[in-house]
Amino acid sequence: MSPQLTLQTPLELVPSEVPTYLEQLWSPEQQGSTGTGASTFCLLIWQPAWAEQHLVRSGRLKGPITGQQTSDLIAAGRQAITEADLPLSTPPLDGAVIEAVARLQGDATAEDLRGQYIDPALSALMPRRLITLAPTVAPSKGLETLVAAYCPLPEEGGGTTACGDVVVLRGGDAALQDGMTILEPLLPASMPTWVWWNGFLDEAPELMARVACTSRRLIIDSAVGQPRQCLEVLRQRVESGQAVNDLNWLRLRSWRETLAMVFDPPDRRDALSHVTQLDIDVEGHHPAQGLLLAAWIADRLGWTLDSAKTIDEETTAQFHRPDGTAVNVHLMGVPVGQPNVHAGQIVGMRLICQPDNGKGVCVILCADSGGCMRLEGGGMANLDLHEDIVPVQHATPEMDVARLLGGGHDSTNPLLAAAAPLAAKLLG
Amino acid sequence: MVATITNPLRVGLRQERVIAPQCLVIFGASGDLTHRKLVPALFELFKQRRLPSEFALLGCARRPWTDDVFRGKMAEALAPRIAENPAAWDQFVGKLFYEPVDLQKPEDVVRLGGRLELIDQQCATRSNRTFYLSVSPNFYASGCRALSDAGLLKDPKRSRVVIEKPFGRDYGSAQALNKVVQTCGQENQIFRIDHYLGKETVQNIMVLRFANTIFEPIWNRNYISSVQITASETVGVEERAGYYESSGALRDMVQNHLTQMLAITAMEPPGRFDPEAIRNEKAKVLQAAHLADELEPWNCCVRGQYGPGGTKDNPLAGYRQEPGVEPNSTTETYVAMKLFIDNWRWQGVPFYVRTGKRLAKRLSEVVLTFREAPVHLFDAATGGPTANQLILRIQPDEGAEFRFEVKSPGSGMRSRPIDMEFSYDESFGEPSDEGYVRLLADAMLSDPTLFTRADEVEAAWRLYTPLLELIEDSPWQLPIHPYESRTWGPAAADALLARDGLLWRRP
Repeated sequence: MSPQLTLQTPLELVPSEVPTYLEQLWSPEQQGSTGTGASTFCLLIWQPAWAEQHLVRSGRLKGPITGQQTSDLIAAGRQAITEADLPLSTPPLDGAVIEAVARLQGDATAEDLRGQYIDPALSALMPRRLITLAPTVAPSKGLETLVAAYCPLPEEGGGTTACGDVVVLRGGDAALQDGMTILEPLLPASMPTWVWWNGFLDEAPELMARVACTSRRLIIDSAVGQPRQCLEVLRQRVESGQAVNDLNWLRLRSWRETLAMVFDPPDRRDALSHVTQLDIDVEGHHPAQGLLLAAWIADRLGWTLDSAKTIDEETTAQFHRPDGTAVNVHLMGVPVGQPNVHAGQIVGMRLICQPDNGKGVCVILCADSGGCMRLEGGGMANLDLHEDIVPVQHATPEMDVARLLGGGHDSTNPLLAAAAPLAAKLLG
Repeated sequence: MVATITNPLRVGLRQERVIAPQCLVIFGASGDLTHRKLVPALFELFKQRRLPSEFALLGCARRPWTDDVFRGKMAEALAPRIAENPAAWDQFVGKLFYEPVDLQKPEDVVRLGGRLELIDQQCATRSNRTFYLSVSPNFYASGCRALSDAGLLKDPKRSRVVIEKPFGRDYGSAQALNKVVQTCGQENQIFRIDHYLGKETVQNIMVLRFANTIFEPIWNRNYISSVQITASETVGVEERAGYYESSGALRDMVQNHLTQMLAITAMEPPGRFDPEAIRNEKAKVLQAAHLADELEPWNCCVRGQYGPGGTKDNPLAGYRQEPGVEPNSTTETYVAMKLFIDNWRWQGVPFYVRTGKRLAKRLSEVVLTFREAPVHLFDAATGGPTANQLILRIQPDEGAEFRFEVKSPGSGMRSRPIDMEFSYDESFGEPSDEGYVRLLADAMLSDPTLFTRADEVEAAWRLYTPLLELIEDSPWQLPIHPYESRTWGPAAADALLARDGLLWRRP
């Protein structure tokens, strides 16, 4: 399904009038004509779409600007990597790509529809209010405030009268900071508010602190931004008690599931008490996902961290098991020709178990996007080998976010809460 | 942390849906089902952290108990489970409340409304309520009416009613009951429970069929020659004689549990995994099903009743000797029948259904027998080639097995059957949740996928109407065949299949 536009052309209002306008829109007197406001949730999205804005401005991508991760946008990003002579293993929407396209000449314009495109996966959940913060590449641009009411179409599960509205705050940095004053009254306390930080975790820290306050449920992607900062933000937020959801953690699901499946048969479980080595290969330079996987395994198996160090693309760590035996963990970034749009996706992992008495076990899991010959080498022939292929997730960020919203969890997943601080510690 | 009992990497991987804050109200809270199934299921959900912190269970019955008495009774009934995790029970028990309510007395129901408001304040359950009618079927209609009259079903998003089986006694009464409950609330508020649908392995039939490409192309009349559905029990009527005397095996097991297994086995693939899409397909296949001989049902149906049996040291009483059973009772404790489904997929394929008490083994299974190979090239060790069979084991020893021919070791080319097995236990090593755990959670989540819709229930009753009428009007035409306890039922049931050149599977 393609994204859908609001049915109504958004109305541009003076920022101070927005809360009153929306209050009136959903007042009991008005409900007869517009339907009932859904009692669901509010979603506040930080939607910078820097790569898309610069690619459109430089004429590398046709508009309109939507903030969606389309195949055209990804293709334009890959093209820019070639043009800017960046390493081919650079993810197509990476910070380095944005820096490169920001330097390109051009003043092409296109309609900016950020916040007005509603992904069907999200609209199916009938959000009461979608508020999009859409910073522009022109820092001096003034604040524009757009408002539109929205009712799901019958094929989206509409037909009921539960409706919502969208609010877009668009402008340069300073203008958006000014616009923050209208946010509070737009987020009713009677329903949960989710904040989706759909940008770099190391940008606009003040704004992030302001919109993603502890009482709101936060969605971030620890694969977007400088790795140390990503894991640090994740750790801080988790430890503050905020409900945090990490899309990078969500994408780990198939790895965690496949590894758990290997040890589902009861006769294999004992091997988990005898792990001696864990190797993880990730794409390129972003180790966050690999570290989260290592931290999850360590937590589940009760390992204690002794030491860790990171040099370039390699992280090595020593743990000890509950029985005192040492476990070596090694994470390495490997260059790939056609990197995933999400930085640092896991390429493969190897878990070696060496029981004192009995045959050792070696588990090798490989992403279906490529081989993992490096992990398959190294004299594993004497071990009982279990190999499996892990399907790479192709869900768009909107679909992942919809999955989180649909789950309705109001607290951080305890497994993530346990893994995030350890992953941050591994990167030191 | 590492234990051989659970897979430490499996913990927390299932992303369960979150149940909204709510109060579950159980009518019939002093009854058997509440302490045997419902409260244990809720305690299990609590231990799995699947209940919201804003949750309350309000037990209602006519007995003048207090909260403390109710809590004490439940603690007594769940003692072995509590011993495993006393700390969890200490937290859970505070969520249990009790209100004496006679659903026939409007003033009681009004008082109940007041108590629910107090619980909303006390437990932050936000007027979100699930009402569970675990009462005598005679009170389903009046119970729904009472709730509706008291305004407790007014908000379709925040109130729902779960109705236990049996839903009606026949097609007419099911229709009448549907009419009443549908005037009390919208269809999406009504959850007609069939605990068989809560069983992991029944749900697995859908996954097996619709998540694999290898089965669906052969899941039809071109490849399948017959289907057997069995639900056998080793126990007798036990303490349920009062209810059983008026229901019998047909109403107690076939119309609901076995018919649901039939529907899931035979339904067309739904367009999407959506409650209405699935229930549409189930209703359609039940509407296409009929007894093999509707005009003369005695040709396609056998009724039986268990007689004495057992050993000298452990004698077993016959049904008529059980306490509470009429000495000349004609209630069937066994029933076997042959059905057809008139649609493109199943035309001409017989579905044999049987259930009974005091049979040789306790099991539920669906057996699909495939057509024989068109040409027999090999000498078969068993005399003739054995037809391929896919056996879906619902309980116990949940799993599936596929029987096919292989070359028997040796110099000749003789074939023999072998079984390829999948066992939930061996593959996952974790016990499945009880059906009620899943179904209670689904009801509180307002997810009706595993509950039967009005038209499904009516179609299921309509399917057996010729039999029910015959039993009512001229029972001598469908006599009760006695069978010895702990055997596989009366010889007449074997004869039913023998006429088609088949045998019941002896698991």
